[in-house]
Amino acid sequence: MATHHLTLPVDVEAIRALRLGDLVTVDGEIVATGGLPTHKRIIEAMEGKRELPFPLEGAGFFHLPSYSRDTDQGFEIVYINPTTSTRFNPLMPKIIRHYGLRIVCGKGGLDAECARAMQEVGCVYLSILGGGATLHTDAIKEVTGVGWSDLVTHYRLVKMRVEDLGPLTVGIDAHGNNGYDQLESRARERLPALMEELRVARERAAAGGGSDPAA
Amino acid sequence: MAITYEAVKSLTADLYEWSLKRIPDDAKEALDRAAAAETNESARKVLSMMRRSADRAENTDRFVCSDSGVPVYFIKVGTQARFEGDVKRAISDGFAHLVETIQPPLLKHVTNPLTNERSYAGKDMPMVSWDMIDGADYIDITCAPKALGSGRWASLEIFSFPTLEEIEAYILDVIVKTAAQQCPPVTIGVGIGGTFDYCTKIAKLATLRPLGTPSSEPVLAAMEERLLKAVNKLGFGPMGTGGDTTALAIHIEYASGHGFTPVAVCFNCWINRRTRARLYNDGRIERIGGPWRRII
Ligand code: SF4
Repeated sequence: MATHHLTLPVDVEAIRALRLGDLVTVDGEIVATGGLPTHKRIIEAMEGKRELPFPLEGAGFFHLPSYSRDTDQGFEIVYINPTTSTRFNPLMPKIIRHYGLRIVCGKGGLDAECARAMQEVGCVYLSILGGGATLHTDAIKEVTGVGWSDLVTHYRLVKMRVEDLGPLTVGIDAHGNNGYDQLESRARERLPALMEELRVARERAAAGGGSDPAA
Repeated sequence: MAITYEAVKSLTADLYEWSLKRIPDDAKEALDRAAAAETNESARKVLSMMRRSADRAENTDRFVCSDSGVPVYFIKVGTQARFEGDVKRAISDGFAHLVETIQPPLLKHVTNPLTNERSYAGKDMPMVSWDMIDGADYIDITCAPKALGSGRWASLEIFSFPTLEEIEAYILDVIVKTAAQQCPPVTIGVGIGGTFDYCTKIAKLATLRPLGTPSSEPVLAAMEERLLKAVNKLGFGPMGTGGDTTALAIHIEYASGHGFTPVAVCFNCWINRRTRARLYNDGRIERIGGPWRRII
């Protein structure tokens, strides 16, 4: 497991160098949203049906909704925290391919089709701590753009400059390795052995043997 | 002397706020123990980040997580408790007051399931379950806000005269299907028996026990012990980074029923939101978080 420090925008070689389980800290400009309607609007923009508020080519795209408010000093982010990326599985492959995203970040991972799109364009999925609102929020240094202000604040498309965001964990690399799928299949493979261990423990408990100190 | 509308309104709101800004002491200790025992380096890093996140939220009076959930309360009314004013309405008024005054402000999470519209209020919100305690001159309130990630992976199946093996296989299967989407290390609550509705309720209440307190029923205590070991060998780890820490605890409750046996499995995510207090006739408030007391 290696540790990396990435400054966005990032070139594809740096992304392809990342391996599953590596830790990554991020500096620079990221784009964030937590809304399904926002993803649908991005797809509409790809189809020429609406304008993007700012370009997404090669972006770090974060499933990181915020509580934000419009103040006299501008758009203020009070706190951010990730949302579950798998909710956007059906839309993400198109978005990843069209804009050549370099990073998608959120919690919970993405599916096999997304991992294929990421491999094609050179993009990784970074897992960010759920329940890390203070740490993530304190990494924001500046809000550099806000799009689609007609949406509720956590659905808007927000561009921000971050420093030392993370550590984030590489959950899907740019070589088609999906850590989430691997975890699930490994857990399934382990099930028969675990059921056998449970059977032995049940029999011992039924015989009044209590717990097994060696287990 | 009586339990007043005002007292219930402010205590239910306070319990909610406390649950958002501070993780329970037993959860901190369990995370520390897990970090010390964890063999996977990434997992250890994530666990220590969790502790830093919780500490910073507590020290700076902010939320540990932005998904502040929807309001859920379990209230037990002592038969000697006396009331002044509409204490039932006090709970929804308390939540409305919290929404107006809490800093930082809450996001809108209360969702109308028919339109997916989000707001701060809605039908049957807050969700309150009521019970009674013979002889007590207080009401006992537990607040357990439910967030999306920790709520959506719960599951129930109804069996007919199942063996313990079938029950355990089902529990493991539910956990494998969640695939670390519910911000592990989780607390797993299991209900066995009763009826459809009762089984889910005891499963939920099981997640609210102080972490790692074994069932008083020996068959279940042994089941909890072996299942926790098995779950932590599945390899999901904290936030799905791999490792030995998928669950901090598994708590199982049971109820007798008919031969059809529901088994319900639900989760609390690593931040373990749950706060509890008693409000007495004389206005005294007793925060409960220390020694294990049965809440069902
Ligand atoms: S599951 Fe828990 S820690 Fe994770 S995002 Fe939801 S509330 Fe936060």
